[in-house]
Amino acid sequence: MLRSVKGLVYHTPKLDRGHALHATAKDWLSSIVSQDVQILAEGSRAIFRTSENDPANHAEYHEGRHYSIPLQEVKAVFPHGLPSPFQQQIRTFNEACLMVRKPALELFAYLKSSSFAHPAIRYVIYGEKGTGKTMTLCHVVHYCARQGWLVLHIPDAHLWVKNCRELMQSSYNKERLDQPLQASFWLKNFKTANERFLKEIKTQQKYVWGKRESTEEGRPLGEVVEQGLARVRNASDAVGVVLKEIKQQCHLGSFRLLVAVDGVNALWGKTTLKKEDKSPVSPEELTLVYNLRKMVMNDWNGGAIVTTLSQTGSLFKPSSAYLPHELLGKEGFEALDPFIPIRVSNYSPQEFESCYHYYLDRKWLQHEKARTAEGRDELRFLSGANPRQLQRLAGPL
Amino acid sequence: MMGEDPETFTQEDIDKAIAYLFPSGLFDERARPMMKHPTEIFPEKRKIQWGEDGRPFHFLFYTGKQSYYSLMHETYGILLNAQKYQDQMTAQGFPPEKEKKNLPGSRWLTKMELEEMLLEKLSDHDYSRFIQLLQKLMMLPYGNNEEKYMQKFSKEIATQLQKVVIEPLKYDEQGVAFSTGEGQRKTARATAVVYDNGSGKITVNGVDVLHYFPVLQDREQLLFPFQFLDRIGKHDMICTVSGGGRSSQAGAIRLASAKALRSFVTEKEVEFMRQAGLLTFDPRLKERKKPGQEGARRKFTWKKR
Repeated sequence: MLRSVKGLVYHTPKLDRGHALHATAKDWLSSIVSQDVQILAEGSRAIFRTSENDPANHAEYHEGRHYSIPLQEVKAVFPHGLPSPFQQQIRTFNEACLMVRKPALELFAYLKSSSFAHPAIRYVIYGEKGTGKTMTLCHVVHYCARQGWLVLHIPDAHLWVKNCRELMQSSYNKERLDQPLQASFWLKNFKTANERFLKEIKTQQKYVWGKRESTEEGRPLGEVVEQGLARVRNASDAVGVVLKEIKQQCHLGSFRLLVAVDGVNALWGKTTLKKEDKSPVSPEELTLVYNLRKMVMNDWNGGAIVTTLSQTGSLFKPSSAYLPHELLGKEGFEALDPFIPIRVSNYSPQEFESCYHYYLDRKWLQHEKARTAEGRDELRFLSGANPRQLQRLAGPL
Repeated sequence: MMGEDPETFTQEDIDKAIAYLFPSGLFDERARPMMKHPTEIFPEKRKIQWGEDGRPFHFLFYTGKQSYYSLMHETYGILLNAQKYQDQMTAQGFPPEKEKKNLPGSRWLTKMELEEMLLEKLSDHDYSRFIQLLQKLMMLPYGNNEEKYMQKFSKEIATQLQKVVIEPLKYDEQGVAFSTGEGQRKTARATAVVYDNGSGKITVNGVDVLHYFPVLQDREQLLFPFQFLDRIGKHDMICTVSGGGRSSQAGAIRLASAKALRSFVTEKEVEFMRQAGLLTFDPRLKERKKPGQEGARRKFTWKKR
């Protein structure tokens, strides 16, 4: 009830501004009448937003609605997590609004009810292209960040297996290859996201970086991260150390760990990287991938592993592939097995309406015909209720 | 000999037999072997118009256009007879009958046809004078009596505008109404089955439309018939398409779906659709490459020397 009143209050000032241009009294009266009709219609339309900003309290009642994340929190929680079209949208609209959808709610239910004494459960979010897998992952990351978990968010694992300019032989293990640039970039973002944990967690072992540099036992993890950022050569090893420490200390129970990997099928696919003698590099020869694979194994407890499959950045996979066994391959499937699959599909009619009204409300759809019912039907037909297609269609309008 | 009945062997059967026995790869129909009466193959020629002593047979030979003038003479004679008859009738007190013979399905002979009939060349002026005379004869009240004479100079026009039959709706097992349509564009052939009580879902060759047509332009083509009739979310469609490329397949499905939607819609809206161009088959095909040119229209680079 309160919500509908809020909707009325929210929308009347806009209508007054629009209708103040009418000259005659008759027009004014008729506009008031139509205002009433419109208010009644728009009262129901206001149900595409919700003021519930804490993902922990999101329930089925909120399904299909947008909730906003304060911009400060966006910078703190998602230094590198959000997809770039969404980042542009945040800059344009000056707010970050995420839609609450069923897969995310399902995941929250599982996370709330899972016991952290048992080994970490793996969740694999899969679905066709552009249906909202990465956004679901970001929603889960936000939820865990609010709950106070340590979030290990790898925005796109495909970036680590392709387009690498500098490949160095690892100093720690002769067989493996380092990627200093990607590792340092990730470390920087990791530091922004999890500042306070880096001070609390202490190393349990001495690490020697070079002749004169070493980290003693009992020093905060922040120092390891600083070391990795300062000496880019050791960045990949720093990442490995961080991951190992976190995994070892997670079961002690002082913090919960969320491993969020986007594009997990990159860890078991092929790479486009080549060694100096032009022989192809397989993923396990990369330090970053090797360490990440260890994280994704369910031999630790006290947290959860949420991953997404992605065809968009994947290498050597057909564009119609979206199922786990297609994208992960035999090796990956066996490595990730057992996992809980979570399917993300195109917008349902209510979700489509919600997104459409959100764009209208933000004045993103400028075309006059876009406001009519026929325009809405046309948008629904042309986008096929696919979130990415809708977002790309609405851009030029 | 070929198992055919010689009693009922028509010219069409002869043509078919000759085409079978003497197959020819020539493009021009007139160059292929044919077996017809000589008068059909060789056009009539004028026989010699004078006898052994040099004296012409026809009295109008020295006018130069003997058949034309004799025809005009004959027709005018008939006209005068008809006028005389009319005068007699009005003198006796019978009212003149006004009947128009001119059915829309007939036309006068063209100048070429008249020339063929008379075996001599005419000028445009001569031809128009003759047609005027015939029309005057037709306009007369008792001109219809000379119908037989006038039929020699008129031809029937083939009936135009065949009415396109719109198929009625069919109902499948669940009682849902559906209708089928076929369409083609360039080399693509498509069949579409449009179901009623739908939600706007479209399946092409077993695949969802978003996957089959990733390009927006093709999906807009599919949208056009439904949007025109304001029935975007009301029908489901299942189509099969083969041949052609992405754009021609989209065009073929558009035509097929428009044809299928005719059954769901009033005649007025069908007329609107026809005027919008939704029901017209697009006849554009790839033009042939000509020798001496690089493509259909593009010539080789012109070099001055």
